[in-house]
Amino acid sequence: MPGSPRHHPLQGGRLRRAREFSGFALPGLFLYGVLVLVPIVWTIVLGFTDQTRFDPQTSWVGLKQFGRLFQDEQFWLVLRNTFVVTLIVVIVPNVLGLAIALLLNRESLLYRLLRSVFFTPVILSGIVVSVIWQSLLRPDGVLNAILVDLGVDSAPRWLSDPGLALYSISGILCWQMLGFCVVVYLAGLNSVPKELYEAALMDGAGRLRRFRSVTWPMIAASVTINTVMLLISGFKVYEHILVLTNGGPGRNATASIAFDVIEKGVRGDRIGFSAAEATIMLAIIVAITGVVLRLLQRREVHL
Amino acid sequence: MTSRLAVARPVLAIALTALFFFPIYIVVTGMLKPADEIQSSPLGLPAPLTGENLGAVFGREDGLYWSSLLNSVQITVLSVLLLTLSSAMLAHYLVRSKARWTKPAMLMLLSGLMIPPAVILQPVTQVLDAVGLMNTLPGVVLSNVAYYLPFGVFVFAGFIGTVPVDIEEAASLDGASRLRMFWQVVFPTLRPAAASVMIFLGVWVWNDFLSPLVILGPESGTTVTVGVYRSVGEYSTNFGTLYAFSFLASLPVLLFFVALQKQFVAGLTAGSVK
Repeated sequence: MPGSPRHHPLQGGRLRRAREFSGFALPGLFLYGVLVLVPIVWTIVLGFTDQTRFDPQTSWVGLKQFGRLFQDEQFWLVLRNTFVVTLIVVIVPNVLGLAIALLLNRESLLYRLLRSVFFTPVILSGIVVSVIWQSLLRPDGVLNAILVDLGVDSAPRWLSDPGLALYSISGILCWQMLGFCVVVYLAGLNSVPKELYEAALMDGAGRLRRFRSVTWPMIAASVTINTVMLLISGFKVYEHILVLTNGGPGRNATASIAFDVIEKGVRGDRIGFSAAEATIMLAIIVAITGVVLRLLQRREVHL
Repeated sequence: MTSRLAVARPVLAIALTALFFFPIYIVVTGMLKPADEIQSSPLGLPAPLTGENLGAVFGREDGLYWSSLLNSVQITVLSVLLLTLSSAMLAHYLVRSKARWTKPAMLMLLSGLMIPPAVILQPVTQVLDAVGLMNTLPGVVLSNVAYYLPFGVFVFAGFIGTVPVDIEEAASLDGASRLRMFWQVVFPTLRPAAASVMIFLGVWVWNDFLSPLVILGPESGTTVTVGVYRSVGEYSTNFGTLYAFSFLASLPVLLFFVALQKQFVAGLTAGSVK
């Protein structure tokens, strides 16, 4: 009966429920459906066609695009590049971020200021960050000028050496993401109950032992957030590559899978082929994120 | 031991932060230097200061900075407003409703958090093209709302779960309509969640590059991030002006960050402390 105290706000007559659904849930669900879910399905479907941008004739080709993809060594190269970047970006800011959070875990104006400095690159656009670093890493840029002053004979070609460029890009991403990890870890550290440290101290636990037995298990949720966040951002890296190397030097020395998908499908005309590649990309990120989330959440402590 | 650490900590912290800050230092000092000084003394402080780089960006003949700024402001404000409204209402509906389909719907939404834009961009352009919204600001705004909806719902749903439902039941006794009850009674209690949603999505939408690049296209103007990207080539010998453009493109977000720093951190940490 509407209006009775036991009556839950979202229950009632069928008409009323329909009105509530269309008022509250429909606008969001509709947009999400049309501009996210349908495109996902569409991408998967397009991967089984030979669609190109300029040829109006599109036909089903079954698994042919996937077959071509797996035989294309360029695909394995961009996949390898993506894994290298993702692995570096998941590990380095995570480890450094925790170390810096432990270092900055003090309450005073100084430490608050230092924290904001680390957080600044997080709120800058990837384009701006890449533009800044590109100017620093030019062969005759500021960084090499300093290295020459320090007596380095042949300064590295950070972005044009095929063996180095991918690591330069990864380093820049690490620089940008580090502050995020620092802030999340600081919050995690602050949430650890002080009594736990006091108890450990009474038991004669040293600095290292306190970290291993108290801090580390208690900040598990922060580790989860950072790892998943870094994983997703590393895996989809695009704009840094576009600005810093445009996928080069040479053919695809630094191209990531996202970069390749966009070059071929969105900016190029091989829509079917690029859709097959995007489907593989989707499958990989869903699988990895699922496994990583499950593994990390298992060790989270719930107070 | 402890006292040695007490001295070492601030020294180490300041040294590391200075090293980390180095690229930003180069940009901020570089944009205030004349071109020849950027080459001759990149590390020095700018003396005398020059405003010619900033002036060159403001006074571009094609007005790129101002037109892209206007586009970025419109896209960001509209996207964030629509996102806050729609994700708050959707999250409230999904959390409070007892219908059986809401659980799988929530899961489907949250899995959207990990979808890379590259995977869906091509079909999104085809959908927008079909309804005549390609190359328009509303096209960018609607695709933003859809793409970032999972994040909004995620934050609001987590928060709504902690708010007792009593107030809502009391309000529904008065026979207030659901919609009015939501805005007058429920939404005000969600203000902390709304703040984090608006802050994060504001920064993300402002910094977005790929979707304005592709959806707006070259004909309909650009956003500031796309503007910076397009002007990289012409400033290849003039870093002072490129730095100035990069700085001016980021300035609104930086001011936003300085003003709302506390909420920023609170929003980031809400999830990790829970």
